[in-house]
Amino acid sequence: MRRQIRSQEYEFVFAQNGVEALQTLNDDSTIDMVLSDINMPKMDGLTLLQQLPEVNPNLRAVIISAYGDMDNIRTAMNRGAFDFVTKPIDFDDLKITIARTLDHLAEWRDALASRDQLVALQNELGIASQLQQSILPKQAPSSHSFEMAAEMEPARNVGGDFYDYFKLGDEIGLVVADVSGKGIPASMFMMSSRTALKGSAIGVCEPKAVLTEVNRQLHADNPTCMFVTMVYAVFNPATNILTYSIAGHDPPLKLSVDGKVTELPQTDGVALGIAPAVEYSQQSVKLESGDTVFIFTDGVTEAMNHNNEQFGMERLLETFDGVELNSAADANQRVIGEVRRFVGGAIQSDDITCLALRRL
Amino acid sequence: MEFSHDRSDEILVINASGRVDGSNASDFLDTLQGLFEPGDQQIILDLGGLEYISSAGLRVLLMAAQNLDKDNKSFSICSLTDSVSDVFRISGFDQIIKVFPTVDAAKQG
Repeated sequence: MRRQIRSQEYEFVFAQNGVEALQTLNDDSTIDMVLSDINMPKMDGLTLLQQLPEVNPNLRAVIISAYGDMDNIRTAMNRGAFDFVTKPIDFDDLKITIARTLDHLAEWRDALASRDQLVALQNELGIASQLQQSILPKQAPSSHSFEMAAEMEPARNVGGDFYDYFKLGDEIGLVVADVSGKGIPASMFMMSSRTALKGSAIGVCEPKAVLTEVNRQLHADNPTCMFVTMVYAVFNPATNILTYSIAGHDPPLKLSVDGKVTELPQTDGVALGIAPAVEYSQQSVKLESGDTVFIFTDGVTEAMNHNNEQFGMERLLETFDGVELNSAADANQRVIGEVRRFVGGAIQSDDITCLALRRL
Repeated sequence: MEFSHDRSDEILVINASGRVDGSNASDFLDTLQGLFEPGDQQIILDLGGLEYISSAGLRVLLMAAQNLDKDNKSFSICSLTDSVSDVFRISGFDQIIKVFPTVDAAKQG
């Protein structure tokens, strides 16, 4: 121990009793560890132990007691002593105890630092989650002849879904998208995707041309191979025709007024951002009065219960089979309700997004 | 996830089984890249035992494919289960990464 003291690894500060010890600790906040006898004048070691957390909650105390004085040792440990040594003091034993206490303190400080980092990270995830929510439109477009509704159940650890609708002259553009991965990278890529989409959609009426352009922009600067799957559609309220283009996404469902459910044809586009110079294609569907088109993300079909079973396409189709819908919102609520029932208490690992367009 | 691999005639066949999602995607990438050796000319990833792949897992395959492509190595995947095959088809990844029904078919290219 002399060696450690000489090399200034350890520095000792002495006090005559508990009162003086407290005074010294208050004056010098660099002290890590207290080594104290139990029997001392003015304030004994057990009383001192009780006062230590108020001076510095990260102090560690080692108590020195007579051999066999189990009652006092037990009391000291109960009052938060880190360890004890017994008299007569074995200096090797004391050396080991001091080293172990200081090692523990070093680890404790590391843990505190990582906890602070974790809190900071969680705060950032909270911001990412708010960003994701803030870009969602507050009000869905509607008229005397159609209505739209969307709903998102965000995952706990920030997924990358988004939806949007915007006016394009007399038509309405609508989008449902799912960015690869989760957390902050996903929310950043989501922002770029949304900007690229809105920028490309203005003034262009063909969904396939819009997705071709969005893909070109996202692929141009994408070293980390992020991608986004998307259904982009344009609805013309005058003709009741919905034209859509799909990039790596499940096709929308058509829920006919008679309760029949069909998957709309795929357009076989690759997810956006990963393939250079791809041309996307599109399909159109005419909506009759009472027909609904339902667009969703794989958070619906891949929602998992405790047995790792997925909700799946079949259950989704069954949810609508033979059902007479009251409204666009009704379609979304039915699906989210069914998924919740299926999943039970299992943790939701992905965002769940539904968007419905209904001709009145 | 569990991995095994077999190397002969400059062909590396990697079997990956289990589930890949955001929680283990970076381990998946590290494991794959740790297995590649400079002498491998053709890398085949046998996903016959893969039960589930999320978008984070697809991204790993894409990164591996791009890195190998840069080095002029051939990369393909094979033996997809129905559910994984659906994911590949819907996402369009089957248009970007070569997919074969079996290891032998993949070896033929």
